[in-house]
Amino acid sequence: MKTETTLTAAAAVLTGAASAAAADAAAVNDLIAKIKSADDAVRGPAWQGAGPVGAPAVAPLAEVMSDPHFEIARSAKRAIEKIARHAGRPGANPERKAVEAELIKLLSHSNANVRRHAVWMLSEVGDAAAVGPMAALLADAEVREDARCALTRVPGSQATDALRGAMDGAPEEFKYALAESLRARGETVAGYPSKKLVPVKQTSVKAEA
Amino acid sequence: MNRIHRRSFLQRTGAAAIGATALGLPQILPARVLGASYTQPSAKDRLNIAHIGVGGMGGGHLGYMLARQSRGDVNVVAVCDVDENRLASAVKSTGGKATPYRDYRYVLERKDVDAVVIATPDHWHACQTVHACETGKHVYVEKPACCTIEEGKAMVRAARGNRICVQVGSQGRSQREAFLAHQYIANGMIGKVHTVKCWHYATPSDDNPVPDSEPPAELDWDLWLGPLPWRPYNRRYLHGVFRWLLESGGGQIRDRGAHVMSNALHFMDADRTGPVSVETKGRIPTRGLWDSAIDMEVTYQFKDPDWTLVWAQPGEMVPYFDRDRVKREGIREGYGAVYYGDKDKLVVWVGDGQVYTEKKAVEFQKPAGGVDVPKSPRFDHHEDWFEGIKTGRKTIMNIEGGVATAFLCVLGNLSLIVGRKLAWDPMRQEIVGDEAARRLMSRPQRFPYAL
Repeated sequence: MKTETTLTAAAAVLTGAASAAAADAAAVNDLIAKIKSADDAVRGPAWQGAGPVGAPAVAPLAEVMSDPHFEIARSAKRAIEKIARHAGRPGANPERKAVEAELIKLLSHSNANVRRHAVWMLSEVGDAAAVGPMAALLADAEVREDARCALTRVPGSQATDALRGAMDGAPEEFKYALAESLRARGETVAGYPSKKLVPVKQTSVKAEA
Repeated sequence: MNRIHRRSFLQRTGAAAIGATALGLPQILPARVLGASYTQPSAKDRLNIAHIGVGGMGGGHLGYMLARQSRGDVNVVAVCDVDENRLASAVKSTGGKATPYRDYRYVLERKDVDAVVIATPDHWHACQTVHACETGKHVYVEKPACCTIEEGKAMVRAARGNRICVQVGSQGRSQREAFLAHQYIANGMIGKVHTVKCWHYATPSDDNPVPDSEPPAELDWDLWLGPLPWRPYNRRYLHGVFRWLLESGGGQIRDRGAHVMSNALHFMDADRTGPVSVETKGRIPTRGLWDSAIDMEVTYQFKDPDWTLVWAQPGEMVPYFDRDRVKREGIREGYGAVYYGDKDKLVVWVGDGQVYTEKKAVEFQKPAGGVDVPKSPRFDHHEDWFEGIKTGRKTIMNIEGGVATAFLCVLGNLSLIVGRKLAWDPMRQEIVGDEAARRLMSRPQRFPYAL
């Protein structure tokens, strides 16, 4: 009898999980369909209300960021922002971790715009688990500057260590940027002084005599 | 007019500066005097001014300074812009006498520049102000002061640490009827103020979005973006319309909120305080590049003393009482604020270069022993800045006031961005209890355009 009850309860959990997954999938499909609409009256409320759809929608939305219709691509990008910011609310750590995990996966996406957006979103909701994958982008010529900025925002010694660790193999010019990040985090860096006050851009406009 | 000539002023204050430093008093002197290579004051009596950003409001500032130059008050020695067409036009307006620059850091390298007027898009204000302070230039910077909380803190540190006179361009505080409204409220005529409700018309939406494209030849897109993350050019970013993007402008709450709420903080003597909570409801555009709220209502709760500030787009507009004057002077009734006290209320219209208030405040005679409130010389915001430079006294819209006002604007948008009420520690100037929102207090800058 006891075994039967346990099995029944387990089946109910599985059924519940399956129902939740089905509901998630339906919500994601509905969101993606609306985001792909050419009508902003459909698309706009969809991306604006994307937050509660959560982590399952992150990867499908990242694919829509490559849509040739620039307004659809932008809507997908903004939907991911909504999801990350919703998940970042106080008391929603499991949701935040789920979104973080999906964003980390996007750091190896073939589209640089997706990688760039993911690393910036992780600067808002990523924790120590995201630092290593974010730091890997410091070697990615297309998005290394965004990764540096994003890591600068993430608190904790792991991010500091990652920025310092990247100094070794970085291109010489990028070491100045890494040094700027480290100093912004209160670290001491030998060499590679700030270039913020160094002018470089000449005008072709002339003063008249 | 008993004008203080710069050379004689420097000769007098240069000697006095040692004493001032010993007493821990502000010591405000031009860069040329503070520089290590200084030997004698320049042969010129007049402050040397450089303009960074010469389109839009920047063009207005340049015109103002050129008028002062013609009266012998200042020298306009440099103009700077990332748009070559605007720069060429500015040089022409100076009669070809000002040196043109694309990169403002050349301006800051010049030892003969005493002060800069910064009228660039908002995302540049903090970097350029901090850098100007660090190179010893006095600063007039357009409002709103900053785009993030950390930027604002850096601006205050830089101004204080380098003893720089900063005036933020919320010029409403300097207007005659703002002074009269302030005086009326400060003297208790409406009682204890418990609520200030601002109204303002909506932020426009980008109803004709366009794809990204190549930047025009005259524009240095990299330098326009400056500290913002790199992205392709889109003509919906500029000029002027940068105001409707959260990153570079922030909508009406930052553009005009930096005027109307500046006056609220000033009248409430609240520059050194801040709200304890901020809650925003709003409607954001469904399409286009511009992402600032079209309509919004932000409620700021202040404590000790307790009062409530409400920024509302559109809110409840109060028509000005004199329709003839509205037509005659072009009074922009689309924004303003109502101050509610426990005895009465007072309406203050507009809030920037125009400020109007009710007759009862205009006609009010301060009684003997009444409360004095700050007053800009000749009700001129720039004149107040010059006086601040020359005397070392705080300007009416000093960096602390400018940053406190900008924080209201920033927090109002942040609450909408994260979609929740924010708790704010006004003493530590930090968001509390919300790690993700806390991270948005800063925005790391793209190299090398760092604070």
